[in-house]
Amino acid sequence: MGAKIRARNVASIFLVAAFAAALAAAPASAQKQGGSITVGLELDIPGFDPLKVGVYDTSAETAAAAIFDTLTTLDDEGEPAPKLAVSWSHSDDFKTWTFKLRPGVKFHDGTPFNAQAVKENFDRQKDPANKCRCAFYVAYIHDVEAADEMTAVFHLNDPQVNLPALLSLQNTNEVMQSPTAWKTKGDDYSRNPVGTGPYILKSWIAGDRMVLEKNPDYWNKGHPYLDRIVLKPLPDAQSRFASLQSGEADIVWDDEADPDNIQRAQKDPKLTVHTYEGSGAQVSAFNTKTPPLDDVRVRQALVMALDRKKVSQAITNGLARPATNPYGDGSWVKCKDDGALPEDAEKAKALLKDYGKPVEFKMLVTATPRGRTIGQVYQQLWKRIGANVEIEQVDQATIPPRAFMRQFQLTPWRIVDLADPDPQMYANFHTGSPVALANYSDPELDRLLEHARTTADLDQRTEDYCAISRLINKQAIWFWSFQNTYYAISNARLKGLPKMYGGVIDVSDAWLD
Amino acid sequence: MLGFLARRLLYLVPVLLAVSLLTFLIASLLPGDLAYVILGDQATPEKVAALRHDMGLDQPIWWRYLGWLGHVLEGDLGRSFRTGQTVLQAVSERLPVSIELMLLAEGIGLLVGVPLAIACAARAGGAFDRFVTGTAFGMLSVPTFLSAILLIYLFAVELHLLPATGYVPLAEDPLANLRFFVLPALTLGLAEWPTIMRVLRSDMIATLQEDYVALARAKGLTPWRILFVHALKPSSLTLVTVTGINIGRLIGGAVIVESIFALPGIGRLIVGAIYTRDLVILQGAVLLVAAGFVVVNVIVDMLYAVLDPRIRHGHA
Repeated sequence: MGAKIRARNVASIFLVAAFAAALAAAPASAQKQGGSITVGLELDIPGFDPLKVGVYDTSAETAAAAIFDTLTTLDDEGEPAPKLAVSWSHSDDFKTWTFKLRPGVKFHDGTPFNAQAVKENFDRQKDPANKCRCAFYVAYIHDVEAADEMTAVFHLNDPQVNLPALLSLQNTNEVMQSPTAWKTKGDDYSRNPVGTGPYILKSWIAGDRMVLEKNPDYWNKGHPYLDRIVLKPLPDAQSRFASLQSGEADIVWDDEADPDNIQRAQKDPKLTVHTYEGSGAQVSAFNTKTPPLDDVRVRQALVMALDRKKVSQAITNGLARPATNPYGDGSWVKCKDDGALPEDAEKAKALLKDYGKPVEFKMLVTATPRGRTIGQVYQQLWKRIGANVEIEQVDQATIPPRAFMRQFQLTPWRIVDLADPDPQMYANFHTGSPVALANYSDPELDRLLEHARTTADLDQRTEDYCAISRLINKQAIWFWSFQNTYYAISNARLKGLPKMYGGVIDVSDAWLD
Repeated sequence: MLGFLARRLLYLVPVLLAVSLLTFLIASLLPGDLAYVILGDQATPEKVAALRHDMGLDQPIWWRYLGWLGHVLEGDLGRSFRTGQTVLQAVSERLPVSIELMLLAEGIGLLVGVPLAIACAARAGGAFDRFVTGTAFGMLSVPTFLSAILLIYLFAVELHLLPATGYVPLAEDPLANLRFFVLPALTLGLAEWPTIMRVLRSDMIATLQEDYVALARAKGLTPWRILFVHALKPSSLTLVTVTGINIGRLIGGAVIVESIFALPGIGRLIVGAIYTRDLVILQGAVLLVAAGFVVVNVIVDMLYAVLDPRIRHGHA
């Protein structure tokens, strides 16, 4: 989010050039029409009905990006740009946002896209009777009002200065689905999704392939370029990469846990490695109510003992990028001073000596090869400064309940890639929040979090968030290990991929050279 | 024969009940609360409690089991909370893939294993026998995930002869379908033939020492005729057992191979259900696979009767 949202004192109207060519950033001559590609994803896609699936995973988001549209999109600078909404404005307190919608857009089933459709999409998620897991993520929205045919007004519970950016995600909450379709198809809707997007679902064999065909009536004339996109779940990393090498797949999902293939692809002229250094990080939280972690010296010593470069080398051949704050390189929050503690084993030893008592505690790790390795490396690093850590391996699904019930001393957690830090920072650190895992309360921290969410000025917000980072780093209630980085590998002919915001491989505007 | 079949089918009932109880217990004992899985990272304790109540998760486990069993007996195996598909839909979509893979793999295993076993038994202890037995021992020790990747690199990446991953339904294009199945079936077949070979070889060697074989030799029958007509059938009881068990195992057990080659079979359905805590699909699919396994075993028992009249007449 570049520094474009400056405070306008009165009637702060923030208009975006209505038909900005935001979707056609590359030179127009380069794109070629036609052709078909196969995308190798990690997981089977369960479906698209928010009430059924709750939240899309990255595989479902790739499909959603092609089948559906969102009100806004992010350009290459991370600025919100028009998509189904052509312009927007907000009230002084950032609690009311008015979106003018694109006229003449129709869902694949012929249903007109209008303010009523936007309203129904959000109403359905928020309806308590529907008990949608997705509702949490739109809790900040009070309701959406269809002011007229082409004007949707969002009334918010909390001020949200970055709403247009938040609405750009290709996830359950933000993609516009056809109300007619979910009403008429009922239980079958989830596997027969209908959107306004550039591709139409043609066929879908569960666990094997989803075939998407070009939408001939797409509102953005000249787009999309490809005639057909085939999405396949290829769960095994080795055979996924082999499928790319043998030409059966044109682009495949990958991640840091597979560094050998990423590094091999980087040297291969026939392949392109797409990577996005996102916002957010892999993090860990101390339970500050349990000794010895109730002592700030102990927590600081443990954080100082982390040699992140060495850990990265051990688990990802050095691909994982060390993190010193919760925001990451992909965030608009850039701190001159984020207050990161030095990585200094000697200082750490001195702090523990000062503490005087033996330091012993348990850490939760996920029972995966990667979780185990991380646990063992941390254990070794902490042993060197005289702290004895016991590793408790638990299933991935066990971590949230243990964390919520505060049945842990140190737990892994994740800050995901969102366009604005507020939703997660507020939830993770404000006193009384169920996910404020550290059990730590500080009026100054609460004040900064509240100020940051109600301030429009980006410089001021940056200052707030940097002060928050300094405070958390100093108290060492959480620590950040690695920044979120996303990977996809494609054959070199595939062009036109936007940045992988949120880790989504978006091939909806790609072409073959 | 009918009485034999009826007795066999009657055994099915307690076996399937035991399987269903075990599946239900193990699935319920999986760590991680389903309510948290559905509500996600951001669940509040109140929402979790409400959802647990709605889903009946706050009921005692035996009560939930009886409830589930009641529905199963009515033919309702339930619906996935994640995809909205019924268990029968999900399984029937994927069953053809697993069955085809199983038949092809078992076919390759038999095609390689049986001739080799006969050849080895004919000259037990000879150079050929020692070579084949040694190779079989080696192949038994190669895990499928290794042989699968080696085959992919050789045939898909280097030679570009066969696809590395994927699937086309048989009805859509039989030839393409077969191309996709060659490598996975070969991977499994390579692991199957050593067992088949070893079992049949040792039974054949034993049979060839029987008096009636000596008599056949004395009558001047050709070795070929002795091996195939006189020795093979009586030696194949253990082979039939092993094949039957393998078939049962492969229906739900080709998990690794289905994942590596991205085949949409039952194995991957079950693994996916475990990862996502989709207990309805997990319990239903395992129950159906177990039922299949048991049915195959009944068929095997009946084949015994065909192969050995003593069993058929009840004085084995």
